[in-house]
Amino acid sequence: MEAYIPEFILAGLAMLLLLAETFCKKAPKYIFGLIGAVGALSMLSFYMSDLYQNIYIILALVSTAITLLLAVDYRSIINLSSNDSKSEDGTGEFYILPLLACTGITALCKAENLVELFVSLEVLTLSSFVMVGYFRRNLGSTEAGIKYLILGAVSTGFLVFGLAWYFGLTGSFTYDSTVISGILSGSLAAPMYFALAMLLLGTAFKVGACPMQLWIPDVYQGAPTPVTGFLSVASKVAGFALLSIILTPFADVCIVKFTIALMAAATLLIGNLGAIPQTNLKRLMGYSSIAQAGFILPLFIGKVDGTLAPNAPYYLAIYMLMTFGAFFALSLIRVQRGSEAIEAFNGLGKTNPRLALAITVMFASLAGVPLTAGFFAKMFSFIHVIETGLFEAWLLPIMIICAGAGFYYYFKVIRAMYWEQPSDDAVAIKVPAVTGVVLTILTIAIVMAGILPLFMAPIQ
Amino acid sequence: MLIWLVLIPLIAAVLIGLCKAPARPTALLSATLTLALGIWAMVSYDCCTDCWSSIHGMDLQLTLGNALSKVMLLLTILVTFATVLGTNAPKGAEASWYNSALLISAGATGAFLSDNIISFFAFHELALIPTFVMIGLYGRGDRRTTAWRVTLYLGLASMVLLTALLMVGSQAGYSFSSIADYVKSGQQIQNAELIGCLLLVGFGTLISLFPFHSWAAPAYASAPTPVAMMHAGVLKKFGLYGLFMFQPMLNSAFLPWNEILLVLLVCNVIFVGYVTVNQKRLDLMLGNSSVMHMGYIFLAFAALVAAGNPEANAWAIKGGALLMLAHGLSIALLFLLCGQVEKQTGTLEINSLGGLGTKLPRMAFVFGLAGMASVGLPGLANFPGEFMVFFSGFAGSKACFGPVQIATVCCLWGLVIGAVYMLRAYRNIFQGDLSKASDYATELAPHERAANYFLVLTLVVFGFCPQLVLQFFTF
Repeated sequence: MEAYIPEFILAGLAMLLLLAETFCKKAPKYIFGLIGAVGALSMLSFYMSDLYQNIYIILALVSTAITLLLAVDYRSIINLSSNDSKSEDGTGEFYILPLLACTGITALCKAENLVELFVSLEVLTLSSFVMVGYFRRNLGSTEAGIKYLILGAVSTGFLVFGLAWYFGLTGSFTYDSTVISGILSGSLAAPMYFALAMLLLGTAFKVGACPMQLWIPDVYQGAPTPVTGFLSVASKVAGFALLSIILTPFADVCIVKFTIALMAAATLLIGNLGAIPQTNLKRLMGYSSIAQAGFILPLFIGKVDGTLAPNAPYYLAIYMLMTFGAFFALSLIRVQRGSEAIEAFNGLGKTNPRLALAITVMFASLAGVPLTAGFFAKMFSFIHVIETGLFEAWLLPIMIICAGAGFYYYFKVIRAMYWEQPSDDAVAIKVPAVTGVVLTILTIAIVMAGILPLFMAPIQ
Repeated sequence: MLIWLVLIPLIAAVLIGLCKAPARPTALLSATLTLALGIWAMVSYDCCTDCWSSIHGMDLQLTLGNALSKVMLLLTILVTFATVLGTNAPKGAEASWYNSALLISAGATGAFLSDNIISFFAFHELALIPTFVMIGLYGRGDRRTTAWRVTLYLGLASMVLLTALLMVGSQAGYSFSSIADYVKSGQQIQNAELIGCLLLVGFGTLISLFPFHSWAAPAYASAPTPVAMMHAGVLKKFGLYGLFMFQPMLNSAFLPWNEILLVLLVCNVIFVGYVTVNQKRLDLMLGNSSVMHMGYIFLAFAALVAAGNPEANAWAIKGGALLMLAHGLSIALLFLLCGQVEKQTGTLEINSLGGLGTKLPRMAFVFGLAGMASVGLPGLANFPGEFMVFFSGFAGSKACFGPVQIATVCCLWGLVIGAVYMLRAYRNIFQGDLSKASDYATELAPHERAANYFLVLTLVVFGFCPQLVLQFFTF
């Protein structure tokens, strides 16, 4: 019970904010976003003492806080969903739901048995359903909400089915490696693998990995931008936390390693090849999120020094920095130029050179250009595949080709900013305070994380 | 201290780009400082290794311990200085113009000085970014297609290269010195043959080895003058530098591919040579000739691989290094002159030029010298380089007429091909009747002439005293 104190505080904060929304009609709603962000960040104090153990939780909290900050500067679009576009009626929940979803993620990371795991996952999923379809006057958002609801329900079905099989096999809801390895060596191995397969399918939905990646492009494109940011980072963090819980007892089994490698390869190919023809940046970011998941998955092949995927949180942290950077830029352009197409970035290098530089750093990092953080993230994935030596023969070439493809589609944005002329009526983008501060911090963090490893701890 | 060679241009670039410092003076100051500091480092490094290498609490693993690093550093600082001194930025583009040269210079210097192979790779990529951006922004002709093609070719090549580096590094440590120790201790590198292939393809694409060369000529033709000078002159040598650095440790990895490499490099010299003869534009001709000359340096590499270790065929590495330096200087000068011809006459079509020598006799003289250097006439730096490379083809071989020797004989014909296109271009541009385009030409600005003379001077000095460079080698 004590372990869940931060969750109680966070959920309590969300409830309080909901009440406050009802009673303080005059207050501008974005205040809730700022309070929520501060609340999420202050939860970090519970986890700082054991940084590595709680790394997924920390990532979830930070990404929720950034989501809320993103929502604050996106408020002019959020207000369009209210009854009267000038008022803010009914937009308060938009700033509060991410907190509840975040409670789900943090609870999931410390779940000790499968029921807790499932309930916390559903807290996350149900909040996400509402968030995705929040713009009820917007066709895209409604469509995304429905798609997410249906496909999400299917994936939850797989997960529950897997849990039921697990319970049937072991008679317990505790996820225990000794019990599992006992079953795997006995005659019930096949049903156990079946249970694992179902659990993996459910997890793949959250991670955005093949074969459950179908929802991503449509939902990402339709959902409100802050929600897309939340789905692509916080929800993915939850997915990988879940994956590391589920996979740990199985990590050394040959067939499981092969399955993960196969999933990684398929995810990489689908994400990267799908991203190439995109012209809408938000949709492109959807494929990019699949592609990046494809680079994280190989880290889960086999164990390193007895732990599963010790470098995955590092990749996720860097992924969080650069993806949110991209979404801040995207929402800025959406608010001020009214479009999410890559064309909307045309000529930004001339009108806003500093903003363009920051966006360049983000997308260069996503592509994995050296001296940015993204390079080291990708490099660790490559190194892991080379060092384990498993499936090197086919997985590595696929990773190389996909990393090369990344240069093509991420650089589309950079190309639009510098090579294309701004349209005649284009005005300089005004960068609001929150976005400015966050973008600056993210840019500096990405460059630092790209340069410091060369100085501080030369890779031995 | 060595880190300042990288930091000075970077700081200058930040000052110009973000703090709106006056572009040309800042860049010139930075280039002069790195020139002075670089020469000082080269002279005094061996006396006091520690004073140059160490920075308290930080370690980028920069070193000048290798002779090849010194040669490449020399090339980088000389070409950077000439680039910044001699090129004219179009109005409104001063910042990106000089920044591109400074960033390429910083990246190339960092790559040539890195002992850590990850930094080695990362710095090179840093230098590539300005290349893409500048071609896309200010290139000639169909610049966007060209820039895209360069991005994809080099991006993919970098990935192949990175894989090879990681495959070596995960076994033997991520630095040249640790790999050398690993091999010296008698351990075998696994998958050596595959690594050798990946390195040859990765580096080969960056150097424009046949058949991965088709990005190079259009890119140089399209690139704005500073990028063409810095990329063709300096950055392209990165791949050769990498191959020469890895050769002592991974000779057995390269050996199985040596005969294929010989065929490819002969294609570089002969096939691309004929392509060059057929060019109608000066910029494309220079771009192709630069691809062609890479064949000679590959020949030195192949001879080295056949011999086994650098001591067994000392001509090869020395000749290769000298030729890299000489080619870098001469191609940078030629691209500088090419930019000046375009600025003076507004065209680069060789047939619509003519008689420029009567209007610009000094430039004609400089172009003549640069062309002769490129062809390999004695007295200019390329001559001792090519001479030694061809010698290395026969030196240290046990077989009397093996594949390396056949390739050497084929490559010798490249000299004739080079003479054909270079002399023809000279005749058509500078001699004959004064054409309409040439009639517009006026005398060059003093700083342009100064840069031309500076590069000619270096070519002559290294032509007469190749020992200045060769003394870095201890065997």
